[in-house]
Amino acid sequence: MTNTILTANKVSLFYPSRDPKMEGIWALKDISLILKQGESLALIGESGSGKTSLLRVILGLIQSTSGYVELFGENINTCTHHSLIELRRKCGYVPQDPYGSLPPTLSVIDAVAEPWLIVYGRKSRLDAYSKARHLLHTLGITEERLLFSQVRFGLSGGQRQRVAIARALILEPRLLLCDEPTSMQDASTRSEIIEVLNKRVKEGMSMIFVTHDLYLARAAASHGMVLLKGECCEENSTKTLLTAPQHNYTKALVAALPTLSSAIQRDSRTNLLHNLYTP
Amino acid sequence: MIQIIDLSITYITPSKSVFAVNNASLSIPKGEIIGLVGESGSGKSSLLMAIPRLLPSNTEVSGAILLDDLDILSLKKDTLNTIRWKEIALIPQGAMNSFTPVLTIGKHIEEVLTFHMELPPHAIKQRCERVMKEAGLDASYLNRYPHELSGGQKQRAAIATALACNPTFLLADEPTTALDVITQREIVETLATLTKEKDMGLLFVTHDLPLAAQICDKIAVMHEGEIVEKGSPEEIVKNPHHEHTKQLVKALLHLEGEEI
Amino acid sequence: MMSLFRRWSFLLLLFIAVLSILAPFSLSVSPNQEVAPPFSTPLWLKRNLPPTMKITLSENILKKNIAWPYNPPTQIHLSGEITLSVPSALVLETPTQKFVLHHLTVGKNTFDIDGRDLSFKQRLNFSPFAQIPSELFSEKGEYIFRVEPDFSAPPEMRGTITFDIKGGRWGLLGTDQRGRDIFSLFIAGIRVSLIVGISATLLASLLGLFFGLISGYAGGWTDTIIMRGVDILLSIPILPILMVLAAYWGKGLWQLVLILSLFSWMGTARTVRAMTLSLRDSSYIEGLRGLGAPTFYILWRHLLPETLPLLLANIALGVPGAILAEAGISFLGLSDPRIISWGRMLHEAHSFGAFTRGAWWMLLPPGLGITLLCLIFLDLGKFLEEQIDPQLKGALKQ
Repeated sequence: MTNTILTANKVSLFYPSRDPKMEGIWALKDISLILKQGESLALIGESGSGKTSLLRVILGLIQSTSGYVELFGENINTCTHHSLIELRRKCGYVPQDPYGSLPPTLSVIDAVAEPWLIVYGRKSRLDAYSKARHLLHTLGITEERLLFSQVRFGLSGGQRQRVAIARALILEPRLLLCDEPTSMQDASTRSEIIEVLNKRVKEGMSMIFVTHDLYLARAAASHGMVLLKGECCEENSTKTLLTAPQHNYTKALVAALPTLSSAIQRDSRTNLLHNLYTP
Repeated sequence: MIQIIDLSITYITPSKSVFAVNNASLSIPKGEIIGLVGESGSGKSSLLMAIPRLLPSNTEVSGAILLDDLDILSLKKDTLNTIRWKEIALIPQGAMNSFTPVLTIGKHIEEVLTFHMELPPHAIKQRCERVMKEAGLDASYLNRYPHELSGGQKQRAAIATALACNPTFLLADEPTTALDVITQREIVETLATLTKEKDMGLLFVTHDLPLAAQICDKIAVMHEGEIVEKGSPEEIVKNPHHEHTKQLVKALLHLEGEEI
Repeated sequence: MMSLFRRWSFLLLLFIAVLSILAPFSLSVSPNQEVAPPFSTPLWLKRNLPPTMKITLSENILKKNIAWPYNPPTQIHLSGEITLSVPSALVLETPTQKFVLHHLTVGKNTFDIDGRDLSFKQRLNFSPFAQIPSELFSEKGEYIFRVEPDFSAPPEMRGTITFDIKGGRWGLLGTDQRGRDIFSLFIAGIRVSLIVGISATLLASLLGLFFGLISGYAGGWTDTIIMRGVDILLSIPILPILMVLAAYWGKGLWQLVLILSLFSWMGTARTVRAMTLSLRDSSYIEGLRGLGAPTFYILWRHLLPETLPLLLANIALGVPGAILAEAGISFLGLSDPRIISWGRMLHEAHSFGAFTRGAWWMLLPPGLGITLLCLIFLDLGKFLEEQIDPQLKGALKQ
């Protein structure tokens, strides 16, 4: 029981339409999952699949229409506001858009240290800043000049993402929820970030990693759930999802993902259609 | 063939000058798909936009861009306009979000045709239907407004608009970013089939090397304004020369689970 | 920052502010004092009119030459308090004549003679209806004013004799209807315009910021109430209210500042509210709320710094409005007459007939002054806007 970090039980989310003539949509339908300590789960889906909504429900930012979520054993729908805040302090969240996830007027190091300062108070400034610095170094942001430049002026999209990840990690969360945290990275920094995250998972952090890329899912997590239009269409180890997909959508995803290896194995450039159902 | 010879592009700002492209050389033969791969800020978009001379006014361009024997950089405005759309067509970055919301797709294509070609009305209609088909969209979409189309459909509409005047060369700047993986694949396939069937030259700019490798005959890798590697996809994957390419390929293959 | 210091508007503003602060110390005379006949023209106009001047004889200077290429003056006045060693006469020598203005005895002499005094006219053998200044200064040429001893021995004198000649010209900008130097008034008026302009706008901005932030962040009923309050205040016409309030509260400077700010904070409030609404739902603010950060912290540490640049630009652009409002109110006569302001100067010029007299030097300086100050603040506002959005500068977005 104490080992289970997250339980989602038949979570559904319905967005009603403002227009009385139109029906609303089900963003999530009967999603259930269990995450234990030290486990990582990849949520695989594209825009409109419900992956972002699921993360928001887990954090208690939206209330589910039916079903419930238990974080660290507590039902988030029924616990007090104060307890919810305590629960959230044990989680880290990296939103999909790196441009809204950081306070623009703070410097990079202030932005990373801020959550720590809010939770532990101003007396722990030294701790906060040394931790922030260390985290930023681990994630590849080492230039002093960059550490002290304002978020809105000095950073590229890729750097922002890494700062956002550092900001989510500073409270040493037991559960990390990240939504496409490497979308703006180039190939080499992507693997570095995944390594950092995996290391934490080995140390006991649980993680939900949202992506549309099955290869990335395999690198980031051991287990994966494929979401299509709010429903879970397949759930398996990430390796199996890649090598032996069952659902048609998963199969189409695997086929559609461009890889270098498939590119150089082809006979001719234009016989792509033949590759559609070959793993 | 489009030949880019020793192209350098500098952006001039009040505070400093920024080198976007440094002595780049590239050839785009008719009938071939050339990929230009690089991270954001590597200069690939600048290079592409230099070809139809659509860079902002505060840029300095040196070198030569030859369309067969014609030096595009030294052409007068009116001659340049005869080349745009008819010889070289552009699908700029974010094209699918650049449609005028109050005009139908059909009107967009008609606008291009009326401006650049003298055609009687029924010929215009025929042309519109044909390019929509080539781009993979049903002709009924001509009467739809941009907001009624999905992302992938809008991108196809952008391709159709580019095809309006039957160009010899297509320049596509990140035509698939912000699209779903499956739609991305379909668009890329459409572009590839299209260019081969019509014997067009395509310059395909992207940050996604595996994606470019799917359809390109040759790939040029750009890094910090310079072209650091050129070759077929096999050559680049199996035998990368430049350090940057080596690291890139290594990381990608590692992710795919294949080690060299 | 450096670019601010090089901006013409900033430098000019600094110069004007320093001028207004130093002026009271450098001007020997209070601006309110009468220095010359009313409606004198500036010195550089109408050169045929004589400038108002004061000729003094003292201690060892017993003779002064006066170059007089002008028309006769309007008034003259002789005064003095001296001690003489020998009997003498106070003499004015024209190119052709010599007038004995006053006889001076040995010892102490105190006199105060106005040109209109009948006894003075009689002594000079003029009719009681004669205009002494025109008689004395009927010719153009060199005049000599001196103390001439009755006998040959040179006199020794202690004290000063003053010969006031009131002409038609004075100073850099002439005089107003009360004979006050317009240039001094102009410099003195800078203060009021700057003080009212800046403080009214500052106060209004603070009010607007406060209500805008609260309204935007809290939402719900608070928002509705505040916004409806804004709507009500916006629909009240300012000028009639100002007139009524001026009648009730009096016409002081700070009452004016208060009233102006009470009626101009609404625009800022709306802008700040709009910004707050859009920022409130940013991911990171949501995250901070989720972590349990107190509302005040979020407002102070994040929302305020983000809305501040916009606010600064609004402030700079609001100052001209306040300056013009003050000028308008003064022009209508609703301001304190004891306070010198440019608007007041315009009011007095208008009421006392500057237009009919063609005294454009009374109207142009305050008018141009108001315009210049407004332009300065508009340029500063533009500078601040450029800082917020570099695209406005025409620079390339990095």
